[in-house]
Amino acid sequence: MHQSGIAPFRKYFVGINSLAELATKKDRVCVLNITGGESRTVTPVSHIYSGGNIVCGTAPGRSGSAMKTAAGDIPVFDNMAEAVNAGVKFNVVVVYLPPSGVRDGVIEAIRVNPDLEKIVILTEKVPVRDARIIRAMGQLHGVDIFGANCLGIADAHNHIRIGGALGGSAPEESLLPGSVAIYSNSGNFTTTIAVYLATAGWGSTVSLSSGKDIYIHYAAPEWAHAFHMDDRSKAAVMYVEPGGYYEHDLTFEKPVVACVVGRWKAKLTKACGHAGAIAGSGDNAFAKEEWFMKKFGVDALFTPDNPVCTEKGAVVTNIAHIPAALTAVMAKRGLKPDFAPVGDLSMKCWFSNTQGIELPKPLNPPVVKAMAPYDEQIGSLGEQVGAVFARQSMKDASGASMMDSKTQVTRVHGVAVLDSSTHAFEENLVQSLIREYPDANGIKLANVALNAFVNRAGHIGLAAADAARESGNAPNTVLAAAVAMVGPKDVEFSRHAAATLVNLFKKVHIDDPAASGVDFSAQLGAAEADALVSSAACERGAAMLAAIKARGAKSMFVDFLEALAQKTGKHLRGQVVLAAIATHLGWKPLMRKRLSALTVSNMPWHFRVFSTLIGSAAGSAQQSTGKFCNVADAELMKSYSFTETAYMALFGNRPDADALYGFSVLLGLITSNGPGTISAQGAKGAVSADGPEAPERVQINKGYIGFLTHTGFAHGGNGFEAIAFLLDRFRDSGLKDPGSESHGLDLAAMATAYAKQYKGYKSKAKAEGNISYEKIPCVNHPVFKDKDVNYDPREVFVNDLFRKRGSYNVFHDFYHNLVQALYKTGVSKNVYCVNVDAVIAVILLKMLWKPYAEGKISDATMEAAAFTTFLFGRMIGSAAEIDDHTNRGRNMDTRTPASACAYVS
Amino acid sequence: MNITGMLYGSKLLKLVDFPTSKVLGPEADEHQIKDMIAECGEVFVKPIFKGGVGKKGKSGLLGRAKDVGTAMKEKERLYFAEHFHNNTKAKAEGVTFEGAVPAEYEIYFSLSDSTEFRAPTVTLTHHGGMDIEELPADKLARIPFDPLTGLKGFVISNGLKKIGAPAELISPLVQHLPKLWDLYHFYGMTMLELNPIRMRSDGKGRLTPVACDFKCSFDNDDPNVARLGLPDDLDTSSYSNFELEVNELRTYQGQSDVFVINEKGTITAMTFGGGANALVTELLGDAATISSDFGGNPPYAKMHDISRIVYKYWLNQSNVLFIIGGKANNTDIFETFRAMSDALRDHFNAYGPQPLYVVVGRGGPNLIRGMSYMKDTLDSLGIPYQMFGFDSAMSEVVNFAQAVDAWMKNGGREIVAKQMGLSVQQAA
Repeated sequence: MHQSGIAPFRKYFVGINSLAELATKKDRVCVLNITGGESRTVTPVSHIYSGGNIVCGTAPGRSGSAMKTAAGDIPVFDNMAEAVNAGVKFNVVVVYLPPSGVRDGVIEAIRVNPDLEKIVILTEKVPVRDARIIRAMGQLHGVDIFGANCLGIADAHNHIRIGGALGGSAPEESLLPGSVAIYSNSGNFTTTIAVYLATAGWGSTVSLSSGKDIYIHYAAPEWAHAFHMDDRSKAAVMYVEPGGYYEHDLTFEKPVVACVVGRWKAKLTKACGHAGAIAGSGDNAFAKEEWFMKKFGVDALFTPDNPVCTEKGAVVTNIAHIPAALTAVMAKRGLKPDFAPVGDLSMKCWFSNTQGIELPKPLNPPVVKAMAPYDEQIGSLGEQVGAVFARQSMKDASGASMMDSKTQVTRVHGVAVLDSSTHAFEENLVQSLIREYPDANGIKLANVALNAFVNRAGHIGLAAADAARESGNAPNTVLAAAVAMVGPKDVEFSRHAAATLVNLFKKVHIDDPAASGVDFSAQLGAAEADALVSSAACERGAAMLAAIKARGAKSMFVDFLEALAQKTGKHLRGQVVLAAIATHLGWKPLMRKRLSALTVSNMPWHFRVFSTLIGSAAGSAQQSTGKFCNVADAELMKSYSFTETAYMALFGNRPDADALYGFSVLLGLITSNGPGTISAQGAKGAVSADGPEAPERVQINKGYIGFLTHTGFAHGGNGFEAIAFLLDRFRDSGLKDPGSESHGLDLAAMATAYAKQYKGYKSKAKAEGNISYEKIPCVNHPVFKDKDVNYDPREVFVNDLFRKRGSYNVFHDFYHNLVQALYKTGVSKNVYCVNVDAVIAVILLKMLWKPYAEGKISDATMEAAAFTTFLFGRMIGSAAEIDDHTNRGRNMDTRTPASACAYVS
Repeated sequence: MNITGMLYGSKLLKLVDFPTSKVLGPEADEHQIKDMIAECGEVFVKPIFKGGVGKKGKSGLLGRAKDVGTAMKEKERLYFAEHFHNNTKAKAEGVTFEGAVPAEYEIYFSLSDSTEFRAPTVTLTHHGGMDIEELPADKLARIPFDPLTGLKGFVISNGLKKIGAPAELISPLVQHLPKLWDLYHFYGMTMLELNPIRMRSDGKGRLTPVACDFKCSFDNDDPNVARLGLPDDLDTSSYSNFELEVNELRTYQGQSDVFVINEKGTITAMTFGGGANALVTELLGDAATISSDFGGNPPYAKMHDISRIVYKYWLNQSNVLFIIGGKANNTDIFETFRAMSDALRDHFNAYGPQPLYVVVGRGGPNLIRGMSYMKDTLDSLGIPYQMFGFDSAMSEVVNFAQAVDAWMKNGGREIVAKQMGLSVQQAA
């Protein structure tokens, strides 16, 4: 069953009589799924190119919003019925729905819109089953359908593009008005052929990307008719692939160049490339070449060496031969190209680096100037420093961290937290921002910078932290109060200094910023350099420079600043030295475009927050002007690692090697659990709310406050549960040194006794109907649970680390005894794993056992220490998320649409 | 995915209650075969090929037995039989034993979507059991029908009358054949062929169609196929591990079609667009490891995954990593180039550096940003490269990649290795 269309087609409906009707100025378009990933970039370009032909779009749940374009806003409705009821008139529907929604979208379009004439389906991978129904529905209701899996239609004369992205983001570049109609099975080649034709002076009338699914709804026969009826089209180019008989019975009255590609596809046993480009013996590439050769009366393919053609046409198998073939065919009819050639198809090498290898001449083509506007863009590459990330919705997405759901191991910038645990705290902090670990020299510099701002004595932030502490807040709230006082004004000078340094040195090709002897006389003379020095002396700045020397660290940026200070007779502020160190650390990845310039200028702010967070963990009683935990600031800068400082802020003393290692491992392990964790969500939400599309306005310190407020007694503070559990087991054991294997305790007996006790408790609780009985912390895991003996691979990794160091931990040992005892006493059906949270608890308890046993610290202090340790570690991952979201996110992208929210009564 | 043979064919036909011949799988023991011979008088022994393999009968790959001894001998002969058809070699993995169905008539039946009619089309003849291509047109009914109503009895009846089929065939076929539409349409098939259907008599003049061979193709893009719950490895013979791994990434945004061309190839082409895929693969010939189409604007994560898998399987043996496409309409060159570059860096980190030459030909949105990112990556990895603008003829860029491959084969690989500071072993 079908409607009657134009006269030549009696067996099926065709409504279009001429190519001039395919994409007209009168067409009004509704785009389905207008806000989808592909449409979002394509639709505005089409709308602008076509003078505003898109009257509405649909996106469920987004009714009332609009897609903003330079040619005006396009209103968005929930569905087509709503648009029609609102009085919007359209005769064309463009389908960007996912494959499973295409058939229903087409049926709905036909149902609700009596004015509908054309449907263009862009979607790839529409099931054949749905294509059958789509075809039948179009036939039944007299609607011309294009695609699927096509790129739509463009009329260069009408300056109209409907559907997909023909001509890409700059259609005028490729769609030059002329006399040639293009029909192509390949969307990309539709544009590429137009570009190739222009090199021989041929422009286009209508370009049609037909798609190459099994069902081509608007195919060669009806296109050929419309081509003949279009007076503007004097000739045509057809690009066809094997499979299907669409071209078999075509007859032409005007000249045509047919390009048939895909002889190799005869080998295929399944489609590769276009879904419909799989052929039997009768419709393979050889067969199709024959069809066209017969139509054109030629006995061979056209090649530049053997230019066989008639005035009817030519057959080529290489798209590069199309322009010459068309010119030859048209010459036989005495017709000349539409305009002077635009460019040519010769080889144009735009970028080349032989890496110093002597190559044969043909393999080393000269680099030529690219066509406009690409030449300007290449020229400006030298100006652009660092990476520029594409902005996208970063809700529940991250370019910094990723958790593998199978292994439960999170990676931050590609480094698994297990590997992070083998790096020092300061290395991980730097890596979270520059996406790779600093070298030994970089670590020295980082330690100077981080330690320089730790002492908070006399700073309002410390007073805020103290006040917050005194009013009974948990450590996250206390630290948030301090971090709030590191606002944009406090870091303005540093950020500007970092940006100035990048600007001064971006064109000096320096591979290693630690190199000495760099000639920076030009930079010393630059006017903006003056912004880096101050009239007043700065104690901190001088101390930092002294510490850098004392550590034997090298930095070209520091050398430059010192030379500048000497030249101007002025001084360097600590903030500027911090900026120099940040620029040094970020330099290599910045030059390789792995980092953005924004990240480098924000790094001093991140560093200041790191220092503040660590510094404020110690109360005001532990710091005074010039001294932090009884250590002189200058000494901290010269000889302390930031890990040591962090340990000292928490526990009051410099750690020994064993404690330092344990602390370092601990902090590395808790770096991140991916973008889905609450702490990451808090950090990302804070950035999102500031609007990262204006990144200079994002309050980096507020990002950290977001992280801190999104931790709490259930997230981060729960580490204490396992410690409390272990304290109950060991409190009266008389244990002296948890690091000594000769502790004299019978751990197996302790574990068995507890397992029996727990079994009794559990049975009783169950008998009483209490199903929320207490669980043993840190054993078992929802993923690692189905084997006879289970292991959490993360725990195994860390256990191995300590074993190889010969470092013993009695609490860890106890946990392994416990899971065996639970199995043997029948509490568990298999041997549970000891999970990674146990590792965190046992490391921490081992560090704190001695002062605890001696009564020097209370349970409350222990709980605060456990929580704060978590915050230190998680700060690393949060830094990565904050920086990533600032670089990639869109304004308010973490919100959830109202339609996805639930009301619960 | 394709299925041939009655082992699974009979299971699928049972879903729509279509009668089939009796079938035993390769595990059948002598007693079962004996019973089948006793019941049916004769068994056919057929090799099992995974995927779609035709013309087996013509190649002598069909055994017949009226006793257990012969059946077992045929089993031995055919169990690992090899068959060359349509440019591909297939190796059997077992045999089926199928009970003979004595009949006077053999029917050919198929359903497919015709590009001529642009509608589902039934092909039917009572001159079945032979190559359909060899039949004259007047003995064959090809009838398109409306998918909104489906395959109805009148379509079958009209078709059979048109080719003068005996009257006694019409009623049983009108009764049974429409069922096959349900199997075809609702389980995501693109082709279904039963040849032959043998018309079994009940001795009282009543005939029943019995399917005695089965062939079908499924639509990879149709989620309804999953409703059949077919085992994953049913058609794995036609997919390499590489193809299987890439196929897992199939989502609607961004193509991820690959096909292994030559396991010993030396140019690995990351090709963008169906047209470029057709053209580049043709020009590269056997130098190519794979044929690929990664167009359709894949997001970064997907492109990174694809690149990771491609590099893992093919980079080590490759002289040239060839990134090629036309002037993209919508594929974001920055995102795709960034993903390929990052994956290349990750690959070098994980597997160590190797001598390699990179040739690029591409156009599209954010082109210079994309090329620049790749340039920076290749510079930092020390890999030589040339990148060509989209106004260079694509075929010439392919020729250039081939020339680089030839140079690499003739000592260039060692030179690149030396320049990259790699040892001889790493160069090999």
